Amino acid sequence: MVYVKWGFRIFVLLFVAGFLHYTLPQHDIVRVTNAYNRLTTVGENWLFYAGADTGTAEGDETRDIRFIDAVFADGSVIVYRNEDTGWVWPPYFKYDSSNLQAEATNLKSTAADPQWVSVTHYGWRFPLLSIYPNAVNMKAVDGPDVRLIPWVNIVVLTTLLVLVLMLRRMWLQFRERMVDPTLAEVDARADAVRAQATGFFGRIAAWFRTWRR
Amino acid sequence: MIPILRLVVFGFLALSVIYVLVSLYSRSVRREKLEKAYDSGEATRDMPDDVKPDRASYIESGMAAYQKGLRRQLIWLVYVIPMTVVLVTVYLVNAQ
Repeated sequence: MVYVKWGFRIFVLLFVAGFLHYTLPQHDIVRVTNAYNRLTTVGENWLFYAGADTGTAEGDETRDIRFIDAVFADGSVIVYRNEDTGWVWPPYFKYDSSNLQAEATNLKSTAADPQWVSVTHYGWRFPLLSIYPNAVNMKAVDGPDVRLIPWVNIVVLTTLLVLVLMLRRMWLQFRERMVDPTLAEVDARADAVRAQATGFFGRIAAWFRTWRR
Repeated sequence: MIPILRLVVFGFLALSVIYVLVSLYSRSVRREKLEKAYDSGEATRDMPDDVKPDRASYIESGMAAYQKGLRRQLIWLVYVIPMTVVLVTVYLVNAQ
């Protein structure tokens, strides 16, 4: 039973952590090498693409999706998709994919004369599922080693923590003021009824009577 | 346009649920505070005996004051803050 309980807790923790890691913005410092459209079939991995009614994404099966190729300072590569996010989830409210694609094209550079770019994105690159992180913003930076402070993540995580603590306090207040007095009342009524009961069957009947108002 | 409407409608419903929960919580906390203040005798210590309110009327008048107070009005921030955050996000993400 202990294993089940801890297994469940660890599962929930991992799920929440993974969800936040997927959804919250991250910065990559990369060199953009290409920006292009490609017809892409979206199938069972639809969860990791924009919704079908989001403007840049038309139709469920095959879509024309914008992609941005980039290279990290250490030579490893990354591919971003560039899709509108729609109005609900994830709550980036991005509808400037065309502009972002133009910026990416403008910031393209060669290894000989690199222009480093900070790409804000969310999501994961996971080749097995053919999923790509969605680029949200990009801006030119001085070099591959600039230090960026993740203000959005700091604010969002702090707010979430405050909300969880607030919810806990509200629940405790509700229990203290509503649930406990009701239970105490039921308990007191049971005691009163039981005091009158005599004998074994009398006590059973009394126990049934405690459920009546 | 439909997805925006969907966000507005469901967002409004969700925020209304939060508003109701927070206002119930806030009322409950205030009532508990009034009860404790009366029971400890602190609230009525300086009052002479002939004007001392009984427990129920002390709490009811305290709750009536709360209904008119600033603290209750501040719960409207439950609507204001998320809408502001959405608007700021829309601006920051889509501005160049």
